[in-house]
Amino acid sequence: MDYLYDGTFEGLLTCIYYHYKNEAASGIYEISKYQHSMLNESEVIETDILKASIVSESILKKISREAYVDIYYCYLSFLENKENYILDFLVFAFKYGKNTMNFYTHDKVLPIKEASLKVTREVHRFLGILRFSDIDGILFAKFSPDNDVLLLVVDHFADRYRFEKFLIYDEKRKKAAIYADETWEIKENINIESIEYSEDEAMIQGLWKQYFTDMAIKERKNFNLQFQFVPARYRKNMSEFK
Amino acid sequence: MNESLFNKLRILSDAAKYDVSCVSSGVERKNKTVGGIGNASSAGICHAWSSDGRCISLLKILLTNDCIYDCSYCLNRVTNNTERATFTPEEVAELTIQFYRRNYIEGLFLSSAVEKSPDHTMENIYKVLELLRYKYNFWGYVHVKVIPGADPMLVQKAGMLADRMSVNIELPTEKSLRALAPQKKIENIIKPMSVINNEITRTIEDEKFFRSTPRFVPGGQSTQMIIGATPDSDKTILGLSQNLYDRFNMKRVFFSAYIPVISSPNLPAISTMPPLLREHRLYQADWLMRFYYFNCEELFTETDQNLDLDFDPKMMYALRNLNRFPLEINKAPYEELLRIPGLGVKSAQKIVRERKNAQLSYDSLKKMRTVLKRAKYFITVKGKYYGNVKFDPEIIKTELRRMEVQQQLSIYDLI
Repeated sequence: MDYLYDGTFEGLLTCIYYHYKNEAASGIYEISKYQHSMLNESEVIETDILKASIVSESILKKISREAYVDIYYCYLSFLENKENYILDFLVFAFKYGKNTMNFYTHDKVLPIKEASLKVTREVHRFLGILRFSDIDGILFAKFSPDNDVLLLVVDHFADRYRFEKFLIYDEKRKKAAIYADETWEIKENINIESIEYSEDEAMIQGLWKQYFTDMAIKERKNFNLQFQFVPARYRKNMSEFK
Repeated sequence: MNESLFNKLRILSDAAKYDVSCVSSGVERKNKTVGGIGNASSAGICHAWSSDGRCISLLKILLTNDCIYDCSYCLNRVTNNTERATFTPEEVAELTIQFYRRNYIEGLFLSSAVEKSPDHTMENIYKVLELLRYKYNFWGYVHVKVIPGADPMLVQKAGMLADRMSVNIELPTEKSLRALAPQKKIENIIKPMSVINNEITRTIEDEKFFRSTPRFVPGGQSTQMIIGATPDSDKTILGLSQNLYDRFNMKRVFFSAYIPVISSPNLPAISTMPPLLREHRLYQADWLMRFYYFNCEELFTETDQNLDLDFDPKMMYALRNLNRFPLEINKAPYEELLRIPGLGVKSAQKIVRERKNAQLSYDSLKKMRTVLKRAKYFITVKGKYYGNVKFDPEIIKTELRRMEVQQQLSIYDLI
C-alpha cells in the first residue's frame, strides 16, 4: 500500500504510524507529486497530530534525539524520494535502538545523515549570506534556498534583531517568515515582486559594495575559491554581487 | 552620512585589508538588553568572500591611517606620501550598526595607525567601544587592536567591552623588528600581551566566586606577524608562536605573507612574489601544534629549518618517520589516527565512533568521505595495505607527485 500525505512533517509521521498499526507501507509520497501506478494501491492519509506525536515520542525514546533531528532535517531537504529513505531508516532504527547513529556508513543511515548534513550546511551558509535591506524601518530579506530552511534560519535572526521588525521571503516556495514584537509566524502563498530602495538604503548598499571590492587583495586573486564559498545560484540576492 | 564617508571608507578599509584576523568565533552571547541589537555566535559566521577567496566576517577598518611611526614595511609610515583619512568614533559606530542590521557583517574589527600618541589613539578606540555598547546597545562581536605603548588602564577599560584584543608582534625576532620598525620596542608589545592575559585569568577566577563578573575579552587574544620580509626561518617563527601560545594563552597567531609595496634597502625587492605557499604551510603546521598534538620540534630536522613547500608538514613528518606507520585503522588510538596524512579531526572522530560497532572496511572509509588520496599510503584496514607501492619515502613522493600532475591535467580536460 502506498501512503499519500499532505507534505507536512506531521503527515509523514502519521503515515509511519499507519505503517506499524495498519498495513506495511510499500512507499510514502506527497499527494501533489504522486503518480499512480498499476502495481501499488494507494491511500490518502489524513494528518493526525496525535498519531504523529506518538511516533515522534517513540523516536526520541527508543532511538535518539540525534536521529529525530536528522530525519526532520532530511524531511526539509530536496533529496528525491526522501519519505522512503526516512521510512527505511526508521524501520532499521527501531530495530537497533539507541546505537543506530553509530552505523554512520550503513545503507539505511548514510542517506539520512548526508541529507541532514546538507541542510545543516545550507542553514549555516544563509546565516552569513542572507542580506537584509531597510524598507521604511522594516528589515527585508529574500532568498531561494535549495532546501526548505526558512524555519531554521528565523530563530537566529529573531535573537539577533530582537527589537527590529523583519520579513524573510523564500521566493522559491512563495512563503515568508514575519517577525515583530518578539514573535514570528510563517505565511504561505505570498508573492513579493520588486522593491524600491530609499536613498539612504541605496547609499549603505553602495558603501558595502565599495568595502567588499576594496577588501580584496589583488595580488591574491582567487576566483575559484570565491566560487566554492559563494556559488553563483546564491549571488542574485546578495547586494555586493549585483 | 555623505560623500566623504565613501572616501574615508575607501582609504581606511584599503589600509586595513592586510590585517589577517577574520575570526568571529569563541563567544556565545544572547541579546538580552531592552532595545539592544546583536549577539555573538560561538561557531563564528563568515558573511562574504572577496575575490581573493578570503572570508569577510567583520567590518575591518582603521580608525586612522595617519601615523607618527616610520616602519619600513608599512604603507602608512609617516614618510610615505599617501592619502590620509580619519574616522570619528561616531562614524565607525554608525557604519557598524548599519552594516550589522543588513547582515553584512558579524561585528567590527578596529585597528589604527598611531595618530599623535599611543594614548590618544587608544582613547579613541575606547570611545568607539563605548558608543557601540552603551549608546547603540550593540552586543555583536568586536575585536580591537591594542596600541603598543598605551596606558595599561586604557587597555583594561577597553578589554572590558571588547570580545577579542590583539597586539601585533609584527616580526618574528627582535633583530628583525629593530631592522624594519626601529621605533617599536619589543617590551611595548609584550607588556600589553601580559596585561591582557592577566586580566583574562583574573576575571575567570573571579567568576568562580561572583557569577556576574563580566569576562575580560571573552574571545581571548591573538597576534599576527609578517612572513617573508626578513630572513627568519620557519622553525624560528613556529617556535615563537608555540611560545606565545604557552606564555600568553594566545587564541591564535596569524601569519601574513609580506606583499612588497615599497622599495627599501632592508626589504625584499618589489618584484618578489608574496610567499603565499609558505604562509599556507605555516598555518598547516600551526594547526598541527594546536589540534593534532604535534610539537614544534617534530616538524623540523637538524638540517632543515624550513617547511617543505611541495608537501604538507604532516606528510613530511610521516615520510621521515615511516617506522611508525602503517597504522591499523581499526586499532590505532585517536591521537595516532591524527598523525595520518590527509586525515582530519572530523574523520578521526568518525572512525573512533563507528568502529565501536564493527570493524571498518576500506569501503566504509570511502563512504565517510575520508580523503584517502594521501592517507592510503600510511594505513592498513583489517590488516590489508592499500598503498600499492613499495613502502619507501621516495617512491611514495614520486607517486604523490604523479597523482598531482594527473589531477591538474584532468581539470584542464574538463574546461
